[in-house]
Amino acid sequence: MNLPTPKNLLALMGLGQRASSLPALDENNRLCRKLDQTRPLEEYVYTVLDTELTGLSARKEEIVSIGAVRVRGLAIVPGESFSILVRPSIPLPKTSTLIHRITPEAIAEAPPLAEVLPGLIEFCKGTLIVGHHVGLDMSFLNRACKKNHGRPLANPCLDTMRMAMLWREKRTPSHYEQYNLSISYVLTDLAREFELPRFTAHDALGDALQTAYLFIYLAKKIAGNRPLTLRELFRAGQSWRWYM
Amino acid sequence: MNAGIQPAGYDSIITFLESTLPFSELERQSLVRLARGCLVDFFPAGTRLLRRGITEVDGLYLIQKGAIRLFLEDEGILMDIRTEGASLGALSLFNGEKAAMDAETVEDTFIIKIPRERFFEAVHLNPGIPRFYLKSFADTFLSKAFEEMRCKTLPAHEDHSLHLFSNPVGDLVSREPVSVPFGLSIQAAAKEMIRHNTGSLLFREPSGEICGIITDTDLRKAMALGLDLQAPAETIMTTPVESIDAGAVCFDALLTMMSKNIHHLVVKSNNRLQGIISSHDIMLLQGRSPMSVFREIASRTTIPGLYPLHDSITPVIRTLVQQGAKAGNITRMIAILNDQIMSKLLDLMLRELGPPPVKFCLLLMGSEGRREQTFATDQDNALVTENCGVDFLERAAETYFSAFTERMVAHLINCGFPRCPGDMMASNPQWRGSLDAWKNRVTTWTTAPEPERVLASSVFFDFRGVYGHKDLAENLRLHVTNACAGKDLFLRYLAAECLNSKPPLTFFKNFMVEKDGAHKNTLDIKTRGLLPFMDFARVMALYYGIRETSTLGRLELLHQEGHLSRDLFHEAREAFEFLLHSRLMHQLEQMEQGVPPDNRLDPGTLSALEKRTLREAFGVITPLHGVLREVFRLNMA
Repeated sequence: MNLPTPKNLLALMGLGQRASSLPALDENNRLCRKLDQTRPLEEYVYTVLDTELTGLSARKEEIVSIGAVRVRGLAIVPGESFSILVRPSIPLPKTSTLIHRITPEAIAEAPPLAEVLPGLIEFCKGTLIVGHHVGLDMSFLNRACKKNHGRPLANPCLDTMRMAMLWREKRTPSHYEQYNLSISYVLTDLAREFELPRFTAHDALGDALQTAYLFIYLAKKIAGNRPLTLRELFRAGQSWRWYM
Repeated sequence: MNAGIQPAGYDSIITFLESTLPFSELERQSLVRLARGCLVDFFPAGTRLLRRGITEVDGLYLIQKGAIRLFLEDEGILMDIRTEGASLGALSLFNGEKAAMDAETVEDTFIIKIPRERFFEAVHLNPGIPRFYLKSFADTFLSKAFEEMRCKTLPAHEDHSLHLFSNPVGDLVSREPVSVPFGLSIQAAAKEMIRHNTGSLLFREPSGEICGIITDTDLRKAMALGLDLQAPAETIMTTPVESIDAGAVCFDALLTMMSKNIHHLVVKSNNRLQGIISSHDIMLLQGRSPMSVFREIASRTTIPGLYPLHDSITPVIRTLVQQGAKAGNITRMIAILNDQIMSKLLDLMLRELGPPPVKFCLLLMGSEGRREQTFATDQDNALVTENCGVDFLERAAETYFSAFTERMVAHLINCGFPRCPGDMMASNPQWRGSLDAWKNRVTTWTTAPEPERVLASSVFFDFRGVYGHKDLAENLRLHVTNACAGKDLFLRYLAAECLNSKPPLTFFKNFMVEKDGAHKNTLDIKTRGLLPFMDFARVMALYYGIRETSTLGRLELLHQEGHLSRDLFHEAREAFEFLLHSRLMHQLEQMEQGVPPDNRLDPGTLSALEKRTLREAFGVITPLHGVLREVFRLNMA
């Protein structure tokens, strides 16, 4: 009886069949590992990202659209953006269509995630990834990266939801705040609370832009009048998610 | 792969530019080019964006959300507050100079920045953009003249914020603090607060020591949290209570409140409880908001109590001027405050004299009718009563109102409204009458115009009802509008009268001033400058059946209904506001020097820019007269 080789074993487990190395991903991960954390926030380049999904389970569900915008010098560069519809391998559930308004017809002609991924990786190359509850988006993207290219993205991630919590803690004015009945960390609620310009919710690019506005708002608010380094920000919000 | 491509991230920028002048005029293609090059930046409140003469302006800043304050730091002058959709930096970009003003964000502000090269690329392709900004340069020019006038009149004056540094906290305490023993329920505490009409309540320990405070805000929070009203008040009480010494200045109190984020402080002197002050008390100390005068008027219960209130209007006006309000708004505010004083006076008089035998309405005429009062306001008032048709009622009314108006005029003089030299006041029987009597008078004026009637009518026709049954005034206004329609002869008389007041400029565009006498070298800005605009607006309004009485309002409606070209309307409006402003500043200065205000401006005291603007303002009178000549065919007469 033939014992499975490591490669066969991966195949048996349903992993890595089509995994092929991608130079851009290797380059990205190399850049990210070298990242110096001691520079002020405005010196990094960020990719603010949002995905729309067929559902919330990272194991079963899939991505149907991706939106991303560039932030450079803590200013949004709307001219550099990434926005695409993706055709999932499973049928699009009606419940998800009701949330993000993407219909099965709209994605009938769209490319599958495997085709889209190299473009997205290129867009994210060497940047910090920012998202609202970014762990969810990253678990979907990394699953696809591993499946298609054998390894996940090494980009450090910043979660605007955690930054919002940090900002709230920082400015909690009185002990009454703990009784505040209206605390929410939903993106649209935060946008309303901080009086940011508003975008269409549950549209990947709209949410990415909304998150970008929230990000530069929070980054500058938390920093106050002095330069804040990435390391200081990570330390301030102790439970940051890192995906290396 | 293209099937999956969705809208780009700059779509939202395009949407913004599409609704923002002058970019809304651009074609889609240009907009896309421009939007692709934009950046979105965020500046927290209080961020300094530009420093005058230092900052290189590297692009056009469009405010997407928030507000920016433009000011001259050295002179301490606020120039402008710009909000959503407005821009910053165009002037410096075109001139290639450094920032012309200091700029700071007032709120958290999102900016859409068009980098310098992109901006000029767009300017090159779209001549509409420079034209738009050049036009606003003309506005800037005008506002600079306003500005110059403002800082000239103001600098010597004390800064009102200084009160914060000189008034001791103890002076603000108006009454003993309300304190209750421990152990009350929330509801009982609220009842105590209502009983004492106070916004805060102190709690005493059995030893007499003060240990906590609850305020309106705490009660509100208790409601929001659904707390049991019978729960002890201590559950929502704040403790310990912050206190301050009675001798500390108000600024310290304000600082303490701000740093601790509280709104109430206990004031102690020699460790003895003296009272409580709230942040509201400190705000009122600045006491120069129109609201505070408003409240004061409302709180008066005696007629002599109203006498000094007219004086408290001057500081309010100064505050408004300092905040950069334009003359049109200021005179409206003066009108509102004067109206309040007058209404309160009549309320109190009616209480004193008993109810009148018939319905009546007090009319204000002239500048008061137009809501264009400045400080030197004579009384111009009249009275219209209901038609009663019953002989004895009419006699009773005459007796009542003759006494009533005599007293009213006397009280108004005490309140700071001088007697009208032409005796156009309700105490004069000629300026009282029933609705029908008034209608007959108006008909006589319009059908058989004679010089003195024309003069009377020009004062009267700006009337508005201020107190009593305003439907009487409305009814009369309707009659005036109808009576004038088609009375070409009468209106031509009025129009011809307007042409008599020539702009006070010599052939060489110098000012025509009084050659000798007490008013040598001065210029009457009211009769020579403002009246031609008022007369023009009135006669045109009567001709076209417009019922509005204010000059600016009349001009606006004339323009809207297509009787006045857009350009001339804008010029007339700006010129009129500038003249009104000049007059207001002149009088404000006089009031503060204790001189009775007049309308005599000495052009010698004006700066070059003011002179130039004044000259241009007078210059607008000529084209307005041209309109009158054409409309009333006066050249053919």
